[in-house]
Amino acid sequence: MKLTQHLMMGLAALVFAGSASAAKLKVAYSDWPGWVAWEIGIKKGWFKEAGVDIEFVWMDYVASMDAYGAGKLDGVCMTNGDALVTGDAGKPSVGIIINDYSNGNDMLIATKDIPNVKALKGKKIGLEEGFVPHLITLKALEVNGMSESDIEIINTPTDKTPQVLKSGAVSAICAWQPNSGAALKEVPGSKAIFTSADAPGLIYDVLFVGPKTLKRDRADWVKVAKVWYKIVAYLKDEDNIEEALEILAGRVKVKADEYEPFLDGTYILSPAEVKEVWKKNDGLKSIYGSTKISNEFNVKYGVYKKSLQIENYLDPSITMDALK
Amino acid sequence: MGSHQPPQPWFRVGTLLSEKRSGVLMICSFLLPILIYSFVAYCPIFWGHAYELTIAARPDDKVEFGATYTQGFSMEEDEFTRFQKAIRDDNEKLTALYQQGDEADFGMSPRAARSHNKRLLREFEPVLSRNGLFDISVKEEMETKPYYQLLYGAAYDTWGEIATGKEQLQKGSLSEENREIIKKNWALLSSVSETYDSGKLYSKPIYKLIPQGNKQVARASWFPAPHQIIRRGWEDLTGKSELGDLNVPTRYLQSLKIVFFGFFVACLIGLPLALLAGTFSFFSRLIEPFTDFFRYMPAPAFSTILVVIFDIYDQPKIALVVLGTLPHLILMVANTTRMVDQPLLDAAQTLGARRGTLISKVIVPGILPHLYNDLRILLGWAWTWLVIAELIGAKSGLTEIIDTQGRRFHFDHVYPVILLIGITGFVTDQILASFRTVLFPYAASEKKGILSFAFAMVHKLFKSKKATS
Repeated sequence: MKLTQHLMMGLAALVFAGSASAAKLKVAYSDWPGWVAWEIGIKKGWFKEAGVDIEFVWMDYVASMDAYGAGKLDGVCMTNGDALVTGDAGKPSVGIIINDYSNGNDMLIATKDIPNVKALKGKKIGLEEGFVPHLITLKALEVNGMSESDIEIINTPTDKTPQVLKSGAVSAICAWQPNSGAALKEVPGSKAIFTSADAPGLIYDVLFVGPKTLKRDRADWVKVAKVWYKIVAYLKDEDNIEEALEILAGRVKVKADEYEPFLDGTYILSPAEVKEVWKKNDGLKSIYGSTKISNEFNVKYGVYKKSLQIENYLDPSITMDALK
Repeated sequence: MGSHQPPQPWFRVGTLLSEKRSGVLMICSFLLPILIYSFVAYCPIFWGHAYELTIAARPDDKVEFGATYTQGFSMEEDEFTRFQKAIRDDNEKLTALYQQGDEADFGMSPRAARSHNKRLLREFEPVLSRNGLFDISVKEEMETKPYYQLLYGAAYDTWGEIATGKEQLQKGSLSEENREIIKKNWALLSSVSETYDSGKLYSKPIYKLIPQGNKQVARASWFPAPHQIIRRGWEDLTGKSELGDLNVPTRYLQSLKIVFFGFFVACLIGLPLALLAGTFSFFSRLIEPFTDFFRYMPAPAFSTILVVIFDIYDQPKIALVVLGTLPHLILMVANTTRMVDQPLLDAAQTLGARRGTLISKVIVPGILPHLYNDLRILLGWAWTWLVIAELIGAKSGLTEIIDTQGRRFHFDHVYPVILLIGITGFVTDQILASFRTVLFPYAASEKKGILSFAFAMVHKLFKSKKATS
């Protein structure tokens, strides 16, 4: 009897082992430079200071959306376009904090012999179907008067794109930093033929949270937003650059100097700028306009079938309260 | 000694080699792959040449040069020449701007220019370190800001000394061309301040140093030389990695936890089922057919479901190891259980043993040596699931290093970790195998492992010493 009791206790201990996190709110962040910036708040203990019990879980981007879809997270860092895709798959979310817009870090990278987007006709492109790189690529094609039928997409996880380009199996890949940087470095002569800097505002990087937690833990999310703008102020101060680079590079495990250009490719929005972005407008200068375009794109290219109600995916009030 | 037996041939069908010879071959079995790898890595005919950067720079042309090259990166010759040219062009443009006088638009704010200048000072660090003018290890004891103040100061002072001809750096660490550039820079910098002061830094961009590199054998990034693997491995393990602290020991423990917990849980569930299936035909027919079917379903295919059920931390990973190991465990151990001698069972039953007694007193002790071996093999099986398991949910353990650094082609950081996993699995297995002869001296042992071989050698040595004394 005693033995079985011990065994049962051991089993129970095993089941609970590693279930760790007792934090109230759980948010996943991944290697996009705009989100890595959360690390500054984490390392400096600003969340604790603000009195919010939150845990940031470091994950791969697509894995983090999967985990959110599985209902294991309260929030996840996504682009506005991908939030729609995740929402259509049955797990809607609300964007509350806009971190940045992609300003060059998302890149369509081609091998030496491809000088421009037009030369991609009939070629293979390695990218992650249905997510940001897909959107960027479609935009690049559209700008050049082409469409998806002009190329062949090889579905490739974004973190595996550098090796796929190196293998010579494709003529181009689409990825964000630090993956795009790895590709440029490893494939001599490769270069970006289209980047998000060519379409600023097409991709906004945002903290999305579940509708339920937004209602229930509203006060906490406002505190999180306050910490975010503390991070923004810190990053905008040139005197902090070395320390910031150490923290950010330390999170993604690259050399600090290698990280610096990532900051240019990610336009972190200041409080004044973000207030403009939150205004309901058409066009890429507003997150509403940008999301509307993503939505149209997604429907047009069959990422999902029915147009979504984009207003449900965005809520400026948390940011506005934090910036009051 | 003194025996005049003719030497036994090395190749004889169906005969075991002497212990000494087995030992030699065992060592060779490890040496050969290492030698082949080293030969390919060090033999220049397999590889071209490339420039390993000793001074890096950042061209303004972000389209042609989208990546950031840092010190230590290996660049092919034509790429390197193009890279140097780009920087020379940038400097020429800057010269032209300075000639325009006060009207010139440098395309950056004074603040951006200062941060540009600071970066150039920062990028001089490898040259300082190589010449013993700066010690980066002080970083460990210092806050970030004062550390960089110190670094900027050292670079600033050294530039001043180079410009005035006082400082003689080691030959080859700075080209004549770069010396001239430093002189020009010093003229600009010293016009504001002779010593480094972050408040009094020159507010227009200074000239960039032209990239320098050593021509070296260029191995493919996935084929680092053994000495590089060892060096990186040591740096990573001791937390002194060029990539910041990789936390190898902590991650190692995490990985061990996944494998051993997974294996333990599989045993907890699998052993009773397997014993039942091996003993009673009833359970065998009930359990084994489905298990046999289930083992063909790829365990990683369940990873999303495991996240849904077990969250994103350690549990889904342990669960995957269980899923991957359990079916094999049940089938293997059930088979082993059936190997108990029938006469033993008959005798025990004749003597009135009941079912429970039969299992605990006859079957289990009867199969124990084999069971031990089965479990040893299954533990090895559990290890093979580690990397796939740790990718589920929040990436963890050693896999995070393998995956993250692998995708950036930092294989000199990846291989040490893979080796660590290999060595751990191998050594555990060897220890368990050598325990077997201690635990079950009556059971025949098959092959001799490295450790038991080493034990035997030590034992022999000890005996011969005793004999001589």
